[in-house]
Amino acid sequence: MPDLEQRLVELGQGLEWPATPRFRVEQLIPAPGEVGRPMRTTPSLPRWALAAAAALLIVAIALAAFPPSRTAIADWINLHVSIQKVQTLPTPTPLPSGALGSQLGLGLPFTLENAQRQVRWHIEIPADLGPPDAVYVRTLPSGGEVTLVYARAIGIPVAGETGVAVLVTEVRGTIRGDYFAKQLGQDATIEQVTVHGRPGYWLAGSPHVVMFQDASGEPVPDTLRLATNTLIYDSGDGTITRIEAYTTRERAIQIANSLPVR
Amino acid sequence: MLISRALRGESAAYEEIVQRYQQIAFRTAYVVTGSSADAEDATQEGFVKAFRALDRFRIGAELRPWLLRIVANEARNKIRSSGRRHQLELRLTEGFRPGDAAPSPEAVAVASDERRRLLELVNSLSEDDRKVIASRYFLELSGEETAAALGVPEGTVKSRLSRALARLRARVEQEAARA
Repeated sequence: MPDLEQRLVELGQGLEWPATPRFRVEQLIPAPGEVGRPMRTTPSLPRWALAAAAALLIVAIALAAFPPSRTAIADWINLHVSIQKVQTLPTPTPLPSGALGSQLGLGLPFTLENAQRQVRWHIEIPADLGPPDAVYVRTLPSGGEVTLVYARAIGIPVAGETGVAVLVTEVRGTIRGDYFAKQLGQDATIEQVTVHGRPGYWLAGSPHVVMFQDASGEPVPDTLRLATNTLIYDSGDGTITRIEAYTTRERAIQIANSLPVR
Repeated sequence: MLISRALRGESAAYEEIVQRYQQIAFRTAYVVTGSSADAEDATQEGFVKAFRALDRFRIGAELRPWLLRIVANEARNKIRSSGRRHQLELRLTEGFRPGDAAPSPEAVAVASDERRRLLELVNSLSEDDRKVIASRYFLELSGEETAAALGVPEGTVKSRLSRALARLRARVEQEAARA
């Protein structure tokens, strides 16, 4: 092989490739009776989630037929969801320890610069926390999801065995969206808040799942990785931001307010 | 034979196929899309389609090019349907040192610098040139597999590769002359 070609082969052996995801056959091969249906890595929605999402979607569409304010819709969803409790909760699957955040199922690790190339929106960094210690990107939900992982944050303890203090997640939410829905466990409370003048929710206690409409319009449940206090709000530009940490509502809003307005 | 067992419905056999080829399939999709997110989707959808098309696989043919063709097709569909085009940009692993010898720190630094400069020159080429070089030399795909990955005839791969190498060689010589 000529010299240049040999050098290229050697160069290829030292390249940094994105980590190959593990494709599991049970996610690839349709179950009996499901032949012809595409399989995705997103877990299928439990019946309660589908029912709740369908109900919320129908009412949201019905409300949208009139000219109610965005706040009115959000108020209705808040009231409705706050009284809906579920008996069984999905919990994050504990995975072996490794790099910071790697056990939380957040997707593939990237540098911030490379993560930015994977998604179509501009990833914002909270000035209050500074550059993240790790960045993960998931393909799904549709439109992608970016999580900034912080090992330390002033006044915030590290969560359990994860070694993580704060998770800031940006996910492509509804584009025409005036609604997102949440399903909480019995040990969680919900309170409506405002961040950057936009509607948001403070979930306190041990919330396990948030539910929202992804970029393709599908209702999607997303597991809260730390299962602790969470601030979630519509950050504009078709993106939803979520801040998970063992902290107070005020501190979470302080972090959120340190993010640039989209 | 794995493929025969998979055709008989043995999911363990298909699992072995997936395990064996998932890395090359994912990296091929990454070369095509330039995005790991799109590559992950394309690989997954490719494996699903390959499973459904197993009965059309010609026994005796090579499995890897067949799989890569399906995955690369999905990757190209992904780009078309999303309208997104990510520029493929490749980086060096820090601290990588080919070979088993233990050269001096100076030699390591020089070799590392040479690799970095060569990669910069590859990255400066056009998208088509980068993709054909990445497929053929970085992924070490065969001519048939490169054709499958890029969605062009094998003859086109040869001519495209030849032109890409000529352009790269010219830039290497230009840089050497400047130095």
